Amino acid sequence: MSDKEPKILGFCCNWCCYGGADTAGTARMQYPPGVRIIRVMCSGRINPDMILKAFKEGADGVFVGGCHIGDCHYDAGNYKWRRRANFMEDLLPEFDIDRERFRFEWISASEGEKFQKTMQEFYDKIKSLGPLERCH
Amino acid sequence: MSPEYLLARAKNEELQDKGECGGAVSSIFKYLLDNEIVEGVLTLTRGIDIYDGIPSLIEDSEDIIETCGSLHCAPTMFGDLISKYLKDMKLAVAVKPCDAMAIKELEKRNQLDRDKLYEIGLNCGGTVMPITARKMIDLFYEVDPDDVVKEEIDKGKFIIELKDGTEKAVEIDELEEKGYGRRGSCQRCDLMIPRNADVACGNWGAEPGWTFIEINTEKGKDLVDAARNEGYLDIKTPSEKSLTIREKIENVMIKLAQKFQDKYLEEIYPSSEDWNKYWDRCIKCYACRDVCPVCYCKECALDKEFYVDSEQIPPDPLTFQGVRLSHMSFSCINCGQCQDVCPMEIPLALIYQRMQKKYKDKTGFIAGVNEELPPLYSPEKD
Repeated sequence: MSDKEPKILGFCCNWCCYGGADTAGTARMQYPPGVRIIRVMCSGRINPDMILKAFKEGADGVFVGGCHIGDCHYDAGNYKWRRRANFMEDLLPEFDIDRERFRFEWISASEGEKFQKTMQEFYDKIKSLGPLERCH
Repeated sequence: MSPEYLLARAKNEELQDKGECGGAVSSIFKYLLDNEIVEGVLTLTRGIDIYDGIPSLIEDSEDIIETCGSLHCAPTMFGDLISKYLKDMKLAVAVKPCDAMAIKELEKRNQLDRDKLYEIGLNCGGTVMPITARKMIDLFYEVDPDDVVKEEIDKGKFIIELKDGTEKAVEIDELEEKGYGRRGSCQRCDLMIPRNADVACGNWGAEPGWTFIEINTEKGKDLVDAARNEGYLDIKTPSEKSLTIREKIENVMIKLAQKFQDKYLEEIYPSSEDWNKYWDRCIKCYACRDVCPVCYCKECALDKEFYVDSEQIPPDPLTFQGVRLSHMSFSCINCGQCQDVCPMEIPLALIYQRMQKKYKDKTGFIAGVNEELPPLYSPEKD
C-alpha cells in the first residue's frame, strides 16, 4: 500500500464509454479523481504503442473503454481493439508490468453506474499494487 | 496438395560429382537458367573460406557450379534481399525454412511477388555463427580453423574435413552443452523441412548420391517434372525405408527443438532483472530493426520523437523494443538476425520467439507458415 495517489489513464471511446463517464458525471456518481480520461473516437483507434507510451510516461494503470461487442459505431473497431488488448496482456508482463495494471471494459453510454464501479475497482486495484516502479 | 516424395540427382556428371547429394538442386537451377525461366538464381557462394557464405545472384548457368556444396556457417537471410533489391526479377532462390518463412510473411504484406519466385527449399538442421565455428574447431577439434576445407552436419555430428583429407567429428550435443554449436535460434527452431517452399530437398532418408525431394506445390511439381523431361534430373521413387528414416530424423529434431524451447524460453529464460540489464546496454543503433526481414515499413514508429526520445540512450525499453515487439513479434519467424547483429549482445531472439509462441498458443497463428496474415491484421468481427 502506498499513500501516493495512483495515476490512471483512461482511454474512452466517444460513442459509448465516454458517454458512460458523462452519464456518471451528470448523475453525480463519485469516482476517484486519480483517473485521467482521454477521449478517442473509437477503441479501435487504440494500439499497443499508446498503452506502452502511457506506462512510460508514468501511468500506474491504463484503462481502455469501448462499446459493447456488436455495438461499435464504426462496426468492427472494438473487435480490432479486443485482439490488440489480448496481445497486450501477453506483452506487458515481459516488461515486468503486472497485467492487472491494464484493464479494458465494454461500457455503453447509459451505463454510468458500470463506469463508476469499474473506475472504483480499478483504482482500488492499482492502489493496492502501489506505484509502478521501473528502472528506466 | 498431398505430398509427393522422390529421389533425384543431376544428369550432368560434373554437377553430380561436385554438388551435395547428387547435385539435384544445382541441376534444377541450371535447368531454370538454361531455359530462361528465371533471370537469376539467388543462393550462397563460398567466400574466402568455409566460414564465409555470401548471398550471390547467379545469372549465368555456367556459374552454378560455383554454388555447389553446403555452407552451414552462413546465417544469412534472403527474404528482405528479394523484397528490397530483386523484386522485379524472375528468380529462383535456395531457401532454408526460415528464408521461406520470411518470404511468406513478405508476400502476405505485398512486398514481393511470389509468382516471380521459385523457392527451392533445403532441409536445415541449423546454422553456426562463423566466429563460434572457428572457436569451437580450435577448442574441440584442436585444429587450425583455416585448415578446414569442408564442413557437414550429419547424424547429430558436426564433421570437418581437413586439408590433408582427414575427417574429424564431434557430437553437436556436446558442443551445444558447452555453449557452442548451432545458433540459439536454430537450436529452438522446429521447422527443419521447408514445406512452405515449392520443393523441400535434403539428404535425410536419401541414398548416397541422391537428394530426397518433397514436392509441396503444383509449381514445384511442374518444375521437377520439366527438369526431368528436359534431361536435367534422374528421378526414382524412394523406398519405404527412406521415408521412414526421413520421418524419424525429422521427429527427433523436432523433439529436440521443443526441448530447447522449453529450456531457453521458460526454464532458464532471463529474469526481469536480467532483461533490465540487457536493455540498459542498448545503444539504439537500430540494427535489430534494420535487419529484420519482416519489418518493411518505410516510415517507422521508432523514428518518432513521441516514442523514442532522440537524446535518450539507452532508450526506454517500453517504447523501443516494446513498440517493436507490439508491431511484429507475433509475426516473428525466429531467424535470429536481430540477435546476431546486436553489437551489445542483447538476446533479442528469445523475447521475440517467446511472444510469437504465446501468440501461436492463443490464436493458432504460426508466422511464416500460415497462408493468412496474423489475426491482428484482420478487419473481421471475431
